[in-house]
Amino acid sequence: MNKIDKQFEQLIKEISIDSPSKGFTLKVMDRIQAEAAVQKHTLLEDYQPVISKRTWIILIAAFVFMVVYVIMSSPESSTVKEPGLWSTVTGSLQKIDTKPVSNLWQTVTGMFSSIPTMAYLILTASLVLWTLDLFLTRFRHSAAKVQIS
Amino acid sequence: MNKTDDLYYIEAVRKGNVAAFSALVDRYQNLVYSLALKLLKKTEEAEEMAQDTFVKAYQKLDTYEGKSKFSTWLYSITYNACISELRKRRIQFSSLEDQRISDQDEMRMHDYFSETKKEDQEKYLSIALGKLPEDDQVLVTLYYYENQSMDEISVITGLTVSNIKVKIHRARKRMYSLLHEMLHEEIYTLL
Repeated sequence: MNKIDKQFEQLIKEISIDSPSKGFTLKVMDRIQAEAAVQKHTLLEDYQPVISKRTWIILIAAFVFMVVYVIMSSPESSTVKEPGLWSTVTGSLQKIDTKPVSNLWQTVTGMFSSIPTMAYLILTASLVLWTLDLFLTRFRHSAAKVQIS
Repeated sequence: MNKTDDLYYIEAVRKGNVAAFSALVDRYQNLVYSLALKLLKKTEEAEEMAQDTFVKAYQKLDTYEGKSKFSTWLYSITYNACISELRKRRIQFSSLEDQRISDQDEMRMHDYFSETKKEDQEKYLSIALGKLPEDDQVLVTLYYYENQSMDEISVITGLTVSNIKVKIHRARKRMYSLLHEMLHEEIYTLL
Protein backbone atom coordinates (compact mmCIF):
# COMPACT_ATOMS: atom_id res chain seq x y z
CA MET A 1 0.00 0.00 0.00
CA ASN A 2 1.37 3.42 -0.94
CA LYS A 3 0.90 6.65 1.03
CA ILE A 4 -2.30 7.68 -0.78
CA ASP A 5 -3.82 4.26 -0.16
CA LYS A 6 -2.90 4.41 3.55
CA GLN A 7 -4.47 7.87 3.88
CA PHE A 8 -7.60 6.67 2.13
CA GLU A 9 -7.72 3.59 4.38
CA GLN A 10 -7.74 5.89 7.43
CA LEU A 11 -10.70 7.76 5.96
CA ILE A 12 -12.67 4.64 5.05
CA LYS A 13 -12.23 3.26 8.56
CA GLU A 14 -14.09 6.34 9.82
CA ILE A 15 -17.28 4.93 8.28
CA SER A 16 -19.22 2.80 10.71
CA ILE A 17 -20.10 -0.51 9.10
CA ASP A 18 -23.74 -1.56 8.64
CA SER A 19 -25.01 -4.16 11.06
CA PRO A 20 -27.99 -6.52 10.85
CA SER A 21 -30.98 -6.44 13.20
CA LYS A 22 -30.69 -7.48 16.86
CA GLY A 23 -30.97 -11.21 17.42
CA PHE A 24 -29.33 -11.97 14.09
CA THR A 25 -27.03 -14.58 15.65
CA LEU A 26 -30.01 -16.27 17.34
CA LYS A 27 -31.95 -16.43 14.07
CA VAL A 28 -28.97 -17.93 12.24
CA MET A 29 -28.28 -20.42 15.04
CA ASP A 30 -31.94 -21.53 15.06
CA ARG A 31 -31.63 -22.37 11.36
CA ILE A 32 -28.29 -24.09 11.92
CA GLN A 33 -29.62 -26.19 14.84
CA ALA A 34 -32.48 -27.32 12.55
CA GLU A 35 -29.93 -28.11 9.86
CA ALA A 36 -27.84 -30.10 12.34
CA ALA A 37 -30.94 -32.07 13.38
CA VAL A 38 -31.64 -32.97 9.74
CA GLN A 39 -28.03 -34.09 9.29
CA LYS A 40 -28.31 -36.28 12.43
CA HIS A 41 -31.55 -37.75 11.12
CA THR A 42 -29.91 -38.58 7.79
CA LEU A 43 -27.19 -40.45 9.70
CA LEU A 44 -29.85 -42.52 11.48
CA GLU A 45 -31.47 -43.27 8.13
CA ASP A 46 -28.16 -44.65 6.89
CA TYR A 47 -28.24 -47.32 9.62
CA GLN A 48 -27.75 -50.83 8.22
CA PRO A 49 -29.35 -53.72 10.17
CA VAL A 50 -27.01 -56.41 11.55
CA ILE A 51 -29.18 -59.22 10.16
CA SER A 52 -29.95 -58.69 6.48
CA LYS A 53 -33.37 -59.26 4.87
CA ARG A 54 -32.05 -62.35 3.10
CA THR A 55 -30.93 -63.93 6.37
CA TRP A 56 -34.31 -63.15 7.94
CA ILE A 57 -36.10 -64.90 5.03
CA ILE A 58 -33.89 -67.99 5.43
CA LEU A 59 -34.45 -68.04 9.21
CA ILE A 60 -38.23 -67.67 8.86
CA ALA A 61 -38.34 -70.38 6.15
CA ALA A 62 -36.37 -72.74 8.39
CA PHE A 63 -38.69 -72.00 11.31
CA VAL A 64 -41.84 -72.57 9.19
CA PHE A 65 -40.36 -75.81 7.88
CA MET A 66 -39.70 -77.02 11.44
CA VAL A 67 -43.24 -76.16 12.57
CA VAL A 68 -44.76 -77.96 9.56
CA TYR A 69 -42.52 -80.93 10.18
CA VAL A 70 -43.52 -81.15 13.85
CA ILE A 71 -47.24 -80.94 12.96
CA MET A 72 -46.98 -83.55 10.23
CA SER A 73 -44.99 -85.98 12.34
CA SER A 74 -47.35 -85.85 15.33
CA PRO A 75 -49.15 -89.21 16.17
CA GLU A 76 -52.67 -87.75 15.40
CA SER A 77 -51.77 -87.07 11.78
CA SER A 78 -50.56 -90.62 11.10
CA THR A 79 -54.04 -92.28 11.17
CA VAL A 80 -54.19 -92.82 7.39
CA LYS A 81 -54.64 -96.53 6.70
CA GLU A 82 -53.24 -96.67 3.21
CA PRO A 83 -49.72 -95.20 2.92
CA GLY A 84 -49.72 -92.27 0.40
CA LEU A 85 -46.76 -90.38 -0.97
CA TRP A 86 -46.65 -88.00 2.00
CA SER A 87 -46.80 -90.86 4.55
CA THR A 88 -44.14 -92.66 2.60
CA VAL A 89 -41.93 -89.59 2.89
CA THR A 90 -42.73 -89.06 6.57
CA GLY A 91 -42.43 -92.78 7.17
CA SER A 92 -38.96 -92.77 5.79
CA LEU A 93 -38.19 -89.74 7.91
CA GLN A 94 -39.49 -91.58 10.99
CA LYS A 95 -37.04 -94.34 10.25
CA ILE A 96 -34.23 -91.92 10.94
CA ASP A 97 -32.68 -92.48 14.32
CA THR A 98 -33.77 -89.39 16.25
CA LYS A 99 -32.78 -90.67 19.67
CA PRO A 100 -29.73 -88.42 20.09
CA VAL A 101 -31.82 -85.38 19.04
CA SER A 102 -34.65 -86.25 21.44
CA ASN A 103 -32.14 -86.84 24.23
CA LEU A 104 -30.64 -83.40 23.56
CA TRP A 105 -34.13 -81.87 23.48
CA GLN A 106 -34.98 -83.43 26.83
CA THR A 107 -31.74 -82.09 28.34
CA VAL A 108 -32.46 -78.57 27.05
CA THR A 109 -36.10 -78.58 28.22
CA GLY A 110 -34.88 -79.92 31.56
CA MET A 111 -32.50 -76.98 31.81
CA PHE A 112 -35.24 -74.47 30.97
CA SER A 113 -37.71 -76.01 33.43
CA SER A 114 -35.23 -75.31 36.22
CA ILE A 115 -35.38 -71.54 35.42
CA PRO A 116 -37.96 -69.80 37.64
CA THR A 117 -41.07 -68.25 36.01
CA MET A 118 -40.00 -64.79 37.22
CA ALA A 119 -36.99 -64.89 34.90
CA TYR A 120 -39.28 -65.50 31.91
CA LEU A 121 -41.45 -62.60 33.00
CA ILE A 122 -38.44 -60.27 33.27
CA LEU A 123 -37.20 -61.35 29.84
CA THR A 124 -40.63 -60.80 28.27
CA ALA A 125 -40.99 -57.38 29.93
CA SER A 126 -37.53 -56.34 28.70
CA LEU A 127 -38.38 -57.40 25.16
CA VAL A 128 -41.66 -55.44 25.30
CA LEU A 129 -39.84 -52.32 26.56
CA TRP A 130 -37.13 -52.64 23.89
CA THR A 131 -39.77 -52.95 21.14
CA LEU A 132 -41.67 -49.96 22.53
CA ASP A 133 -38.44 -47.92 22.63
CA LEU A 134 -37.70 -48.78 19.00
CA PHE A 135 -41.19 -47.77 17.95
CA LEU A 136 -41.11 -44.47 19.88
CA THR A 137 -37.65 -43.55 18.55
CA ARG A 138 -38.85 -44.03 14.97
CA PHE A 139 -42.02 -42.09 15.68
CA ARG A 140 -40.05 -39.18 17.20
CA HIS A 141 -37.64 -38.96 14.24
CA SER A 142 -40.41 -38.98 11.65
CA ALA A 143 -42.21 -36.23 13.63
CA ALA A 144 -39.01 -34.14 13.75
CA LYS A 145 -38.60 -34.51 9.99
CA VAL A 146 -42.12 -33.28 9.37
CA GLN A 147 -41.59 -30.25 11.66
CA ILE A 148 -38.33 -29.27 9.94
CA SER A 149 -39.65 -29.74 6.40
CA MET B 1 -4.57 -23.14 18.85
CA ASN B 2 -5.75 -19.81 20.23
CA LYS B 3 -9.34 -19.65 21.47
CA THR B 4 -9.84 -16.52 19.39
CA ASP B 5 -8.71 -18.20 16.16
CA ASP B 6 -11.36 -19.00 13.57
CA LEU B 7 -9.86 -22.48 13.23
CA TYR B 8 -10.48 -23.21 16.90
CA TYR B 9 -14.23 -22.70 16.42
CA ILE B 10 -14.25 -24.46 13.03
CA GLU B 11 -12.66 -27.55 14.58
CA ALA B 12 -15.14 -27.42 17.48
CA VAL B 13 -18.06 -27.33 15.02
CA ARG B 14 -16.58 -30.20 13.03
CA LYS B 15 -16.33 -32.25 16.23
CA GLY B 16 -20.07 -31.77 16.77
CA ASN B 17 -20.23 -28.61 18.90
CA VAL B 18 -22.79 -26.77 16.75
CA ALA B 19 -23.05 -23.89 19.26
CA ALA B 20 -19.40 -22.95 18.54
CA PHE B 21 -20.54 -21.66 15.15
CA SER B 22 -22.24 -18.71 16.90
CA ALA B 23 -18.78 -17.25 17.64
CA LEU B 24 -18.10 -17.09 13.89
CA VAL B 25 -21.54 -15.58 13.24
CA ASP B 26 -20.90 -12.91 15.89
CA ARG B 27 -17.50 -12.12 14.42
CA TYR B 28 -18.46 -11.79 10.75
CA GLN B 29 -22.13 -10.84 10.70
CA ASN B 30 -21.51 -7.11 10.19
CA LEU B 31 -19.20 -7.50 7.22
CA VAL B 32 -21.30 -10.24 5.58
CA TYR B 33 -24.44 -8.13 6.03
CA SER B 34 -22.68 -4.98 4.86
CA LEU B 35 -21.43 -6.64 1.64
CA ALA B 36 -24.90 -8.03 0.94
CA LEU B 37 -26.46 -4.61 1.57
CA LYS B 38 -24.02 -2.87 -0.78
CA LEU B 39 -24.96 -5.26 -3.56
CA LEU B 40 -28.66 -5.84 -2.94
CA LYS B 41 -29.53 -2.37 -1.53
CA LYS B 42 -32.56 -3.51 0.53
CA THR B 43 -32.08 -4.21 4.25
CA GLU B 44 -34.56 -7.14 4.41
CA GLU B 45 -32.98 -8.83 1.40
CA ALA B 46 -29.47 -8.23 2.76
CA GLU B 47 -30.39 -9.74 6.13
CA GLU B 48 -31.97 -12.79 4.47
CA MET B 49 -28.90 -13.18 2.28
CA ALA B 50 -26.56 -12.86 5.28
CA GLN B 51 -28.51 -15.59 7.10
CA ASP B 52 -28.40 -17.84 4.03
CA THR B 53 -24.65 -17.26 3.77
CA PHE B 54 -24.00 -18.49 7.30
CA VAL B 55 -26.26 -21.52 6.87
CA LYS B 56 -24.51 -22.36 3.59
CA ALA B 57 -21.12 -21.90 5.28
CA TYR B 58 -22.19 -24.31 8.02
CA GLN B 59 -23.34 -26.88 5.46
CA LYS B 60 -20.11 -26.57 3.48
CA LEU B 61 -17.77 -26.31 6.47
CA ASP B 62 -16.20 -29.71 5.71
CA THR B 63 -15.11 -28.41 2.29
CA TYR B 64 -13.19 -25.48 3.86
CA GLU B 65 -9.57 -26.59 3.60
CA GLY B 66 -8.00 -23.66 5.41
CA LYS B 67 -5.90 -22.62 2.39
CA SER B 68 -7.39 -19.12 2.53
CA LYS B 69 -8.61 -17.09 5.51
CA PHE B 70 -12.04 -18.14 6.79
CA SER B 71 -13.24 -14.58 6.18
CA THR B 72 -12.13 -14.76 2.52
CA TRP B 73 -14.03 -18.04 2.11
CA LEU B 74 -17.11 -16.61 3.83
CA TYR B 75 -17.10 -13.37 1.78
CA SER B 76 -16.78 -15.38 -1.45
CA ILE B 77 -19.97 -17.28 -0.50
CA THR B 78 -21.70 -13.96 0.19
CA TYR B 79 -20.47 -12.28 -2.99
CA ASN B 80 -21.34 -15.22 -5.26
CA ALA B 81 -24.82 -15.63 -3.74
CA CYS B 82 -25.53 -11.90 -4.21
CA ILE B 83 -24.18 -11.89 -7.77
CA SER B 84 -26.33 -14.87 -8.77
CA GLU B 85 -29.35 -13.13 -7.19
CA LEU B 86 -28.60 -9.97 -9.19
CA ARG B 87 -28.12 -12.03 -12.36
CA LYS B 88 -31.60 -13.46 -11.88
CA ARG B 89 -32.87 -9.88 -11.87
CA ARG B 90 -30.63 -9.09 -14.85
CA ILE B 91 -28.96 -6.21 -12.99
CA GLN B 92 -25.55 -5.21 -14.34
CA PHE B 93 -22.96 -2.97 -12.77
CA SER B 94 -21.81 0.20 -14.45
CA SER B 95 -18.09 0.87 -14.65
CA LEU B 96 -16.31 4.05 -13.61
CA GLU B 97 -14.49 6.28 -16.04
CA ASP B 98 -10.93 7.37 -15.27
CA GLN B 99 -10.98 10.51 -13.10
CA ARG B 100 -8.66 13.34 -13.96
CA ILE B 101 -7.35 13.81 -10.44
CA SER B 102 -3.64 13.75 -9.84
CA ASP B 103 -2.04 12.01 -6.83
CA GLN B 104 -1.10 15.47 -5.46
CA ASP B 105 -4.74 16.57 -5.68
CA GLU B 106 -5.76 13.44 -3.77
CA MET B 107 -3.26 14.20 -0.99
CA ARG B 108 -4.36 17.83 -0.80
CA MET B 109 -7.98 16.67 -0.73
CA HIS B 110 -7.19 14.25 2.08
CA ASP B 111 -5.55 16.97 4.21
CA TYR B 112 -8.41 19.36 3.58
CA PHE B 113 -11.03 16.70 4.34
CA SER B 114 -9.23 15.63 7.54
CA GLU B 115 -9.80 19.11 8.95
CA THR B 116 -13.58 18.84 8.74
CA LYS B 117 -15.70 17.64 11.67
CA LYS B 118 -15.63 13.89 12.43
CA GLU B 119 -19.40 13.49 12.07
CA ASP B 120 -19.36 15.38 8.75
CA GLN B 121 -16.48 13.22 7.55
CA GLU B 122 -18.47 10.04 8.18
CA LYS B 123 -21.57 11.49 6.56
CA TYR B 124 -19.79 12.60 3.37
CA LEU B 125 -17.77 9.40 3.14
CA SER B 126 -20.92 7.26 3.41
CA ILE B 127 -22.64 9.32 0.69
CA ALA B 128 -19.59 9.17 -1.59
CA LEU B 129 -19.19 5.41 -1.09
CA GLY B 130 -22.89 4.89 -1.80
CA LYS B 131 -22.53 6.72 -5.12
CA LEU B 132 -20.00 4.21 -6.45
CA PRO B 133 -21.17 1.23 -8.53
CA GLU B 134 -22.18 -1.65 -6.23
CA ASP B 135 -19.24 -3.92 -7.03
CA ASP B 136 -16.77 -1.06 -6.52
CA GLN B 137 -18.28 -0.42 -3.09
CA VAL B 138 -17.57 -4.05 -2.24
CA LEU B 139 -13.98 -3.80 -3.50
CA VAL B 140 -13.32 -0.62 -1.52
CA THR B 141 -14.81 -2.17 1.65
CA LEU B 142 -12.83 -5.38 1.30
CA TYR B 143 -9.54 -3.67 0.48
CA TYR B 144 -9.53 -0.60 2.72
CA TYR B 145 -11.90 -1.58 5.54
CA GLU B 146 -11.36 -5.32 5.81
CA ASN B 147 -7.67 -5.27 4.71
CA GLN B 148 -8.10 -8.19 2.33
CA SER B 149 -5.22 -8.45 -0.14
CA MET B 150 -5.68 -8.11 -3.91
CA ASP B 151 -5.20 -11.90 -4.25
CA GLU B 152 -7.83 -12.58 -1.60
CA ILE B 153 -10.26 -10.19 -3.28
CA SER B 154 -9.57 -12.03 -6.52
CA VAL B 155 -10.60 -15.30 -4.81
CA ILE B 156 -13.76 -13.66 -3.45
CA THR B 157 -14.93 -11.91 -6.60
CA GLY B 158 -13.39 -14.00 -9.37
CA LEU B 159 -11.91 -10.83 -10.93
CA THR B 160 -8.28 -10.70 -12.00
CA VAL B 161 -5.81 -8.90 -9.72
CA SER B 162 -5.02 -6.33 -12.43
CA ASN B 163 -8.72 -5.62 -12.92
CA ILE B 164 -9.17 -5.19 -9.15
CA LYS B 165 -6.20 -2.78 -9.03
CA VAL B 166 -7.70 -0.62 -11.77
CA LYS B 167 -11.17 -0.68 -10.23
CA ILE B 168 -9.92 0.24 -6.73
CA HIS B 169 -7.73 3.02 -8.15
CA ARG B 170 -10.68 4.50 -10.07
CA ALA B 171 -13.04 4.09 -7.11
CA ARG B 172 -10.64 5.95 -4.79
CA LYS B 173 -10.22 8.83 -7.22
CA ARG B 174 -13.99 8.97 -7.81
CA MET B 175 -14.60 9.14 -4.07
CA TYR B 176 -12.13 12.01 -3.65
CA SER B 177 -13.80 13.76 -6.57
CA LEU B 178 -17.23 13.32 -4.95
CA LEU B 179 -15.93 14.53 -1.58
CA HIS B 180 -14.44 17.57 -3.30
CA GLU B 181 -17.80 18.35 -4.93
CA MET B 182 -19.71 17.93 -1.68
CA LEU B 183 -17.34 20.14 0.32
CA HIS B 184 -17.46 22.83 -2.40
CA GLU B 185 -21.26 22.75 -2.34
CA GLU B 186 -21.24 23.17 1.44
CA ILE B 187 -18.84 26.12 1.30
CA TYR B 188 -20.97 27.64 -1.44
CA THR B 189 -24.16 27.33 0.66
CA LEU B 190 -22.39 28.81 3.69
CA LEU B 191 -21.37 31.83 1.67
